[in-house]
Amino acid sequence: MTALVTFDHATLAYGRRVVLSDLTFQIPDGDFLGLVGPNGAGKTTILRAILGTLEPSAGTVTRRPELRFGYVPQRDQVDYSFPLRVLDVVLMGRYDRVGIGRRPRRDDRDRALAALDAVGIRELAPEPLTRLSGGQKQRTLIARALVGEPNLLVLDEPTTGMDLVSTTQILGLVRELHERTGLTVLMVSHALNEIANYVTRIALVQEGSFRIGAVDEIVNERTLSELYGIPVEVDSFAGHRIVLARRGSAVVKPGVDRRA
Amino acid sequence: MLDAILLFRDALYGALVIALVCSTLGVYVVLRRIVFVGASLAQMSTLGIAISFWLAGVGIGGALTDKPVILSLLATLLGVVFFSTGMRRARIPPDARIGVAYVVAGALAILFIAKAAVGEAHDIFLQGNILGITRSDWLLLLGVSVPVLLVHALFYKEFLFISFDQETARTLGYRVERWTLLLYLTIGLAIAFAMQFGGLMLVFNFLVLPAVTGLLMARGMGGVFSWAIGAGLTAAVIGFSLSVPFDLPTGPTIVAASGGLVILAWLVRRLRER
Repeated sequence: MTALVTFDHATLAYGRRVVLSDLTFQIPDGDFLGLVGPNGAGKTTILRAILGTLEPSAGTVTRRPELRFGYVPQRDQVDYSFPLRVLDVVLMGRYDRVGIGRRPRRDDRDRALAALDAVGIRELAPEPLTRLSGGQKQRTLIARALVGEPNLLVLDEPTTGMDLVSTTQILGLVRELHERTGLTVLMVSHALNEIANYVTRIALVQEGSFRIGAVDEIVNERTLSELYGIPVEVDSFAGHRIVLARRGSAVVKPGVDRRA
Repeated sequence: MLDAILLFRDALYGALVIALVCSTLGVYVVLRRIVFVGASLAQMSTLGIAISFWLAGVGIGGALTDKPVILSLLATLLGVVFFSTGMRRARIPPDARIGVAYVVAGALAILFIAKAAVGEAHDIFLQGNILGITRSDWLLLLGVSVPVLLVHALFYKEFLFISFDQETARTLGYRVERWTLLLYLTIGLAIAFAMQFGGLMLVFNFLVLPAVTGLLMARGMGGVFSWAIGAGLTAAVIGFSLSVPFDLPTGPTIVAASGGLVILAWLVRRLRER
C-alpha cells in the first residue's frame, strides 16, 4: 500500500509556539484512521498539516502527487444562513474541477445527484439548506466532499452536537462508504468512545504526546492510562469498546496534578 | 410631478446606478456579516473627501482637491487592505478593529470638515448631494459600476464559495485571502465612488436594506440578488418621486422608502410562514 500522506520527523508550530514535535507516521491508501484527542491538544494542527494549509517548521510532510481531499468541515465553520439549496452546496465540491469563472455543467449536476444518492438524501436536492436537520446537513457536506472524487476523505468532528441516532447514522455511513469503495478516511474527533468502534487505526494526541496504531494497540488500559495520566478501564458491551476513567482516579503521571 | 422629476433625471439615473451596484454587493455584505466593514469603508471614504475639502481650504493639494474621489478612493482602498488581510493575524477581535476604524475615521473626518473652508461640506458629509449629480457624474458612476458588476457575474461561484465555507475552499486550492481581497476591493471601489454623491447614510442604506429585503423574500441566491436589486431600484424611484414634489431631502427619503420595503417584506414573510 502506498502512503497518501507521510510525516517525517515533522514539527508543527504557530510562529515560535511549538504544538507537536517529531511526528513520524503515514496515512496509507485504504486506511480508516481516527485522530482523537481533547480540545486544544493539536488535532486541528495535524489536520492542517495533512491538508497542506500549515507547513511544518522542521521535518517534512509530503503528500502523494495528485492527492485530492474531500473535506467535511466542523459544523460551525459553515454558515447555514446562506439561502442555498442542497444541490448548490454539493456542487461546490466540483468547483475546482469546473474552473475559475466557469459554471457547473450537466455532468457536474449528475455527479452531485449521484453523491447525494450515495449518502441517502437525493430527494432533498432542491430543498433549502436551512430546513435540514443536523444529520441531513452533515450528509450534505459528506456528499459535497465525495463529489470531487477524493482519494482521502477528511471529516473534522463530524458528530459534534448530534444526538445518539444521528451520530450512529453518520459514523455508520462513513464506515459503509469506506468498506464499499475502499476510500481512505481520516476522522478527527474528541470522542474516543465514538471513534474507537468504527475506525481500524487510531492516532491519539494528548498533551503534546502522539501515539498511532491499530485500535487494539491504542485502546487498551495500559496505553490509555499512560497517555491520559489516570487509571483507565476498557470494557466491552455488545461488541462495542467502552473507555472509562476508573472511579476515584488518582494522578499517575508524574508532575501532573489533575485536581488543579 | 413628472416634470419636476424629469428636471432632476440625471440625479435619478445616478441614484439608480448607486442602488444597482450597492444592492448587488450588499448581498455579500449582509451574508458575510460584514455590515460594519461596509460602514467603516464608507466612513474611511468620507475621511478621504474631508481631507480633500480641508486641502482645498488651505490652498494645497492641486489635483487631489479638484477631485475628492482620488483621496476618497485611496482611503477606502487602505481600509480594504486593512480589513481583508490584517484581521487574521491580529490578536484584537475583528469587530473591535472595525469599531476602531469606524470611530477614528469618523472623528478625523469631522475634524477636517470643521477646518474646511467649504460651505456645503457638512451636508455632503452626511447626506451627500444626490440632486447635484450631472450627466457626466452618472456616466462616471456607470463606468465604475459596470466592471464591478461584470467581475461579480464572472466570479459569482468563487465569491459564493469563499463566503460560505472558506476552510473547504482552501482545501480545494482556492487562495481565499486573494479572493477576499478582490471581493473587498470591488465593494470598496463601489463605496468610494458612490460616496461622492450619495453620502454616508444613502450608501450604507443601499449596502444593507435591499439585501435584507431580498433575504426575507427569496429562498435561493438568484432570488435574493433579484429582490435586492429590485428593492434598491424601487426605493430610489419612490424616494425621488416623493422628495422632489414634497421638497424633502432626497437621501433620507430614499432610506425611508428602503425601510418601508423591508417592513413590507417582513410582513409578507410572516404571512407566508403561517
